[in-house]
Amino acid sequence: MKTIETGAIIIGGGATGCGTFRDLTLRGVETVLIEQSDISSGTTGRNHGLLHSGARYAVNDLESAKECIAENRVLKIIARHCVEDTGGLFITLPEDDPDYHNRLIEHCKYAGIPCEEIKTREALKLEPNLNPNILAALRVPDGTIDPFRLCSANILDATERGAKVLTHTAVESMIIDGGAVRGVRCRDAASGEQIEVRGEVVINASGVWGQRLCSMAGIELLMFPSKGSMVIIDYRINNVVVNRCRVPSDGDIIVPGDTVSIIGTTSRKIDYSDIERLEVDDDEIDVLISDGEKLIPNVSKARILRAYCGVRPLVAVSGNVDGREISRGIVLVDHETRDGVGGFITIAGGKLMTYRLMAEWTADLAAKKLGVKKKCSTASTALPGSETRPRKPKIRRFTGIAKSVVGSTFYRHGSRVSSILERKKKNYGLVCECEMVTAGEVYYALRKLNVKNIVDLRRRTRIGMGPCQGELCSYRAAGLFAEFGAATPQKANRLLIDFLEERWKGIKPILWGDGLREMEFTYWIYQGLFGLGDIADDGEDEK
Amino acid sequence: MIHLDNISFDQCIKCTVCTIYCPVARATHLFPGPKQSGPDAERLRIKNPDLVDESLKYCSNCKRCEIACPSGVKIADIIQQSKWRYLKKKFRLRDYFMSHTDLVGTMATSMSFLVNFFMGLAITRLFMELVLKIPMRRVFPKYNSTTFRRWFRTIRKSQEAYAQKAVFFHGCYVNYNNLDLGKDVVRVLNAMNIGVEVPREKCCGVPLIANGFLKKAKKNARYNIASLEERTGDGRAVISASSSCSFALKYEYSNLLALDNSRIFNQVEYITKYLYSRIQEGGLPTMKPVHLRAAYHSPCHLERMGGVIYTIDLLKRVPGLDLVILHSECCGIAGTYGFKKEYYDISQSIGGLLFKAIEAAEPEVVITDCETCKMQIEMNTGYEVLHPVQVLARAFREE
Amino acid sequence: MNYDCMVIGGGLAALTCAIKCASEGLRTGIISYGMSALHFSSGSLDLYGYNPDRKIVSRPYEGIEELVKLNTRHPYALCGNDIIREAMEFFRGAVAKGGLELYHNDGSNHFHVSTMGTVKPTYFSQPSVFNETAKEAFEKRPKIALLAFTGYRDFYPELAAVNLRKSTLFRNLEVITGEVTLPIRTSKNPHEFRSIDIARIFDSERYLKNIAAQIMNASQGADFAGLPAFIGINNYQKIHQRLQELAGILIYEVPTLPPSILGMRVDNALKSRFAALGGEFVAGDRVVGGEIAEGVLNHVHTENHGTTRIRAKYFVLATGSFFSGGLVSGFNDIREPVFNLKLFRDNERNRWYSPRFLDTKGHPFLQYGVETDDNLNPITENGETVKNLFCAGALLARYNPVAEGCGGGVAVSTGYAAAKKIIRNLRGGAA
Repeated sequence: MKTIETGAIIIGGGATGCGTFRDLTLRGVETVLIEQSDISSGTTGRNHGLLHSGARYAVNDLESAKECIAENRVLKIIARHCVEDTGGLFITLPEDDPDYHNRLIEHCKYAGIPCEEIKTREALKLEPNLNPNILAALRVPDGTIDPFRLCSANILDATERGAKVLTHTAVESMIIDGGAVRGVRCRDAASGEQIEVRGEVVINASGVWGQRLCSMAGIELLMFPSKGSMVIIDYRINNVVVNRCRVPSDGDIIVPGDTVSIIGTTSRKIDYSDIERLEVDDDEIDVLISDGEKLIPNVSKARILRAYCGVRPLVAVSGNVDGREISRGIVLVDHETRDGVGGFITIAGGKLMTYRLMAEWTADLAAKKLGVKKKCSTASTALPGSETRPRKPKIRRFTGIAKSVVGSTFYRHGSRVSSILERKKKNYGLVCECEMVTAGEVYYALRKLNVKNIVDLRRRTRIGMGPCQGELCSYRAAGLFAEFGAATPQKANRLLIDFLEERWKGIKPILWGDGLREMEFTYWIYQGLFGLGDIADDGEDEK
Repeated sequence: MIHLDNISFDQCIKCTVCTIYCPVARATHLFPGPKQSGPDAERLRIKNPDLVDESLKYCSNCKRCEIACPSGVKIADIIQQSKWRYLKKKFRLRDYFMSHTDLVGTMATSMSFLVNFFMGLAITRLFMELVLKIPMRRVFPKYNSTTFRRWFRTIRKSQEAYAQKAVFFHGCYVNYNNLDLGKDVVRVLNAMNIGVEVPREKCCGVPLIANGFLKKAKKNARYNIASLEERTGDGRAVISASSSCSFALKYEYSNLLALDNSRIFNQVEYITKYLYSRIQEGGLPTMKPVHLRAAYHSPCHLERMGGVIYTIDLLKRVPGLDLVILHSECCGIAGTYGFKKEYYDISQSIGGLLFKAIEAAEPEVVITDCETCKMQIEMNTGYEVLHPVQVLARAFREE
Repeated sequence: MNYDCMVIGGGLAALTCAIKCASEGLRTGIISYGMSALHFSSGSLDLYGYNPDRKIVSRPYEGIEELVKLNTRHPYALCGNDIIREAMEFFRGAVAKGGLELYHNDGSNHFHVSTMGTVKPTYFSQPSVFNETAKEAFEKRPKIALLAFTGYRDFYPELAAVNLRKSTLFRNLEVITGEVTLPIRTSKNPHEFRSIDIARIFDSERYLKNIAAQIMNASQGADFAGLPAFIGINNYQKIHQRLQELAGILIYEVPTLPPSILGMRVDNALKSRFAALGGEFVAGDRVVGGEIAEGVLNHVHTENHGTTRIRAKYFVLATGSFFSGGLVSGFNDIREPVFNLKLFRDNERNRWYSPRFLDTKGHPFLQYGVETDDNLNPITENGETVKNLFCAGALLARYNPVAEGCGGGVAVSTGYAAAKKIIRNLRGGAA
């Protein structure tokens, strides 16, 4: 068994965990982050990637709205390469209550959110694919944010400053000594090795999974999960975030994220025991597409690439579960005061948007417990890749490399692009042709970004996220894992199988039209031509 | 700003088959192929127009990728549109002259003797190579001393006697460079008891489209659509003896220039298809044998329109004609593409396969439907190149 | 246009059918939309590789007899073993006349090694994939070198080697891997080459000596070298021979990611055979509909030919499965888009697929297709049988091309069977 001694331990590699990890590291605290799967693989990576202006919350939740607009301004600077300042619209359709429009303007004023009424003609000019029948339009400073990049950049900054991250490592038990949590015992999924991590403070940032972690420490903290589903459109059907100007409900937003657009979201309460086997239901897809079509009519003509869902946790602070005490905002619990268990903090609730703020509060509390004086600096310290001054991303030229490749890499890694696309020809051979991922980028991700399998690689690079959903690049990526020594050839086979099965999860629910053609083709290649299913079956037998 | 008027890129399932059939990608590594330049990069250009690659310019718009695509992606259209939309435009005198065929043609035919003489001089060609970047080795078509229209005026009266009439969109090549072909068209149609009308017309726009003179191309297109609409009110057919002109009138106008040509769409036919239909109705005069061994080359744009079968059908009917149908390959010239210094070598290299195939067939003449294919083949193989209508004209000759 | 037989579709089934018709002197045309699935195939022809329990079948004809007892609507059941045998021989002959020899194992299956190093049963292979020398060499337990080309992204021998070592056939053999670098200078990044780019370099015969020397070196005394399948397209038999002589070692080709050069060779051979027989091939055009009256398809019309009607005495619909557009799926429905023919399918979308992607039993949607009568004639929505329209190939229902390892066999057999019926009808009518 391996033992690691550290200052703070963070459990959970979602946005909040990653943000706290970075925050504490910047304050000079020695920190270890433990994640049972991959960075941003849970709730964080399963939303629509909206950089909220706060307008969506303005009418119902003024406090959240204020937090959002403040963080919106911060993120546009410190996480420049993870966000895109697309701007957003709130549009009123003929069947919508026209009154909500006025209430939104009024509440945005209270929250300090710039909200400008524009002519419908102007809105259509801004977003030509919009439903031409709109009655009114408001312009707000919405944008988009890529949660994978955001988390990865937070982790990269912390690890470059010496912090340690353990992914694919699940916590199995808490080390409790003298009424206080002193560390955790966890297991590396790949090697099966048990690791003991000891520290002075343990931060539970594992979102909906936090309930289990609390119970390991003998604490009851109830979470009420609700499922949100989304569908991804093959290309950017809109360039501006389009919100429906009505009381928040299903299918009321289309967010352009990198090369795709995402229609969000549904909301369904689910049983806690179901959080590990979430599936998008067919009727959710129906709702999303038919409501999405009302915002942008082209939706019905476009190919749907995937459907996916995430789980939002709502936290019952007091243990009173009749619903009234459930918090929708940020919940920071010092278990020393709440439950008499020292060295243990839970941070939950909140949103991707406020991850930095949540991390700041958590790190403040942890720093107090650790006796660290240094203040939070995450609001003003740019993330790796976002160091350069804000300007319109101008794509630098690299001789011999296509601009589309340079530009795509720049989108994903910001100013780190130059260390990725060195002028070695082998570095810019394309692996993923849809999203222009080069061999050099794969190499960089394997070396620097805690990539253990192709699914992780996808979150760092967008490999397999384009229209072909991994048809050509999966095999290439598996080959590169072996070539770069990141996996044995045997393991690389397994990674390829796992990746294709992971892609399949999101494709199954939208399997029709060109998506079905694509998968028939992919099946021919991987089963018909490669016989990969037989390898998978053999692997099962060996187990 | 997102333009989604050609969203066929969305149907691409990344099967890579277009990359096999792209003649440019085969000839040069500077072009990353239709898949990357078309549907792959289109998603990125929609995201950010700055992600456009200069290598788009190598696409010759032969449309072979579209023939190969099993998913209905209008690959070449996507690439052409991206060229205009996203690449920086530089005005080039050469491109202006090459694409404004009406203007140049009118000037050149009025002093054809001088033009043909000077174009034959090495010093002129050296100047053209150095200043205009038009390679010296490229052979230019000769100009007529009179235009087809001027000639037609002299015989227009004779056409009025025919009960059935066709509208002949002669195009620039017939008008300025190949009067004989124009005469043969009239001869063949007359032999089949069809009179010829000539509409007012401007250059169909193919060279303008290729050289990025979009406004002018649209202007010409609107002019032609209006003119042809007038003529085809009673369902009369519009025929063209140029596969590229007919392709433009039918497809480029609607797909690329986004103009409404629906009222003339079904009327416009490439000449061999029109003749084929008339023959089906029983209008075929007795043919006299044409004793020739001929190799037939099918132009890319005719392939794209699916018109090759009609030409072959007609040729097969000509007695005495010993016809070898060549495996369909691009000749490489792609209109004005092969006239430019930067693409000259690519153009020659693309054509290599075809030239070899022609030599191997050991014909006496080559037959093809397209005027620039003719120039390319004549220059590279030394064989005389005939238009299918010229072969028919020989078969219909009066002895 | 007036044809004896017009084939809609340009793949394996369509070409087999059209070549048979043309070889009997019928005026035959093909209208094909997009290039065929051969471009993505292994280039070998599978007749029947796996029984319903996924056990490898070594004697396919015997296996088919068993199969059709279980599945009486299987396309093979509609053809019958005699026609299947005849079709296979005809196909091999047609491909040979088109310039490509195929290896066969006297009515039994042989195997080919896949990109992933799995071993798959198949019926016909190109001699560079498997041949008699390989059969002999195998008895001597040879050493095998799987070779990569530097920067080539579509074949990784290490991934294949681990599986190859595990297979029963190769279990006791030594499998090593190595690398060869193409000796070319190019403006293009050689790391972006596809199989087609490299195949063209081989076709030029320019670097054979250098490559052969490298192969010899990298194989470290092995008896066999496995190369990604791109040793030329047009002239490959000669180049393969030459390369073996120069390298002094047996060289085999292993399929790669698409485009498949092995498949293209078959496609080329079939198309040149069809052209040599005077067949008329229209590429890049889609048949959009036709007029069916009293059980007879009078004519079809296409996207490019607009109002022009294409007439034929007989038509064959071989438009493939979903990939090639022979079947079209929507949000909750599956159709045959040209004539709206009666299908075998499920209309509940969540029953179209298996929970696991790599399910070796295949996905239900792979079995959907046109349900014909015993004569391969389809039935319209109104329940009318179309007597002069035959269906062939992947468009047909109730078989699983991948799981049963019979996609190629079904295409060739049904295409051939349709041709036989047409010829018989025409001749019968004349008599």
